[in-house]
Amino acid sequence: MTALTWIFDGLLTAAMVYLAWSLLSERDLFKAVVLFIAFGLLMALAWVRLRAPDIALAEAAISAGLSGVLLLDAVGAIRSPNPVPEDTSSDSG
Amino acid sequence: MNDFYLAVSAFLLVNILVGLVRILRGPTPPDRMLMAQMFGTTGVGILLLLSEAMGLPVLRDVALLFALLGALATVSFVRRYWPVEFAEEESKE
Amino acid sequence: MMFEEWISSALVCAGAFFYLAGTLGMLRFPDIYTRLHAVTKADNLGLGLLAAGLMLRAESWPAMIKLALIWMLALVTSATACYLVANNALRAGLPPVLGRYRSGSRP
Repeated sequence: MTALTWIFDGLLTAAMVYLAWSLLSERDLFKAVVLFIAFGLLMALAWVRLRAPDIALAEAAISAGLSGVLLLDAVGAIRSPNPVPEDTSSDSG
Repeated sequence: MNDFYLAVSAFLLVNILVGLVRILRGPTPPDRMLMAQMFGTTGVGILLLLSEAMGLPVLRDVALLFALLGALATVSFVRRYWPVEFAEEESKE
Repeated sequence: MMFEEWISSALVCAGAFFYLAGTLGMLRFPDIYTRLHAVTKADNLGLGLLAAGLMLRAESWPAMIKLALIWMLALVTSATACYLVANNALRAGLPPVLGRYRSGSRP
């Protein structure tokens, strides 16, 4: 393993840990769903780095695709019927 | 030669992580959703480079799935989370 | 053989440059329409250059055709997504930033 693989894997791991923490502690439901989709895609990349491409396929299809679509649909169903997007939580960091 | 592809894919991963700021800061929901599309496109690039660097040609199938999933999430977002009526357009002007 | 490798490396570097341009546009552009521009055009051009660079090093003809098909699928899906988001944003009344660029200004 060269230094480049360490850099790649370290970046990937740090980003996944930060993403998981921030999506769990997120108050805005829609933002949490988008962060979840991003986490699923990074998780698929992590499975690729672990040399498990079949699990990466399943992870991308189920986590980012199916669960993301279902969660988006659920958030759209449970929020107030207001078609114009409102400017909530623009001051987060 | 493999180090070169790995370095470029690490650079693309840095691009994704910098673009993550747009999810956390984007003022409106479509801004946040746009990041799913960008994750899809950049993830395809990372996967193609990794399939060359790691010698796993099967990763191209995972890349094919990634290209599909970003658009799937975006279409689901537009149709289910953010449906806009034509009547709203007249009242907004 | 050596010549092909140089061409391939140059194409991959050009693709990485367009990805960087897309990310900078994503961060710096003022509203949703210009950001759509950055994501669905600059990034796809970067992906195309990158796939062209990898096609020169592909092991067989089917692998080359597969790389080209991946790029075309990305083009089709991102064009669809770009049209849907932009059309919906315009119908929902999100104002585009017109005139000279001022940071965060709305017409």
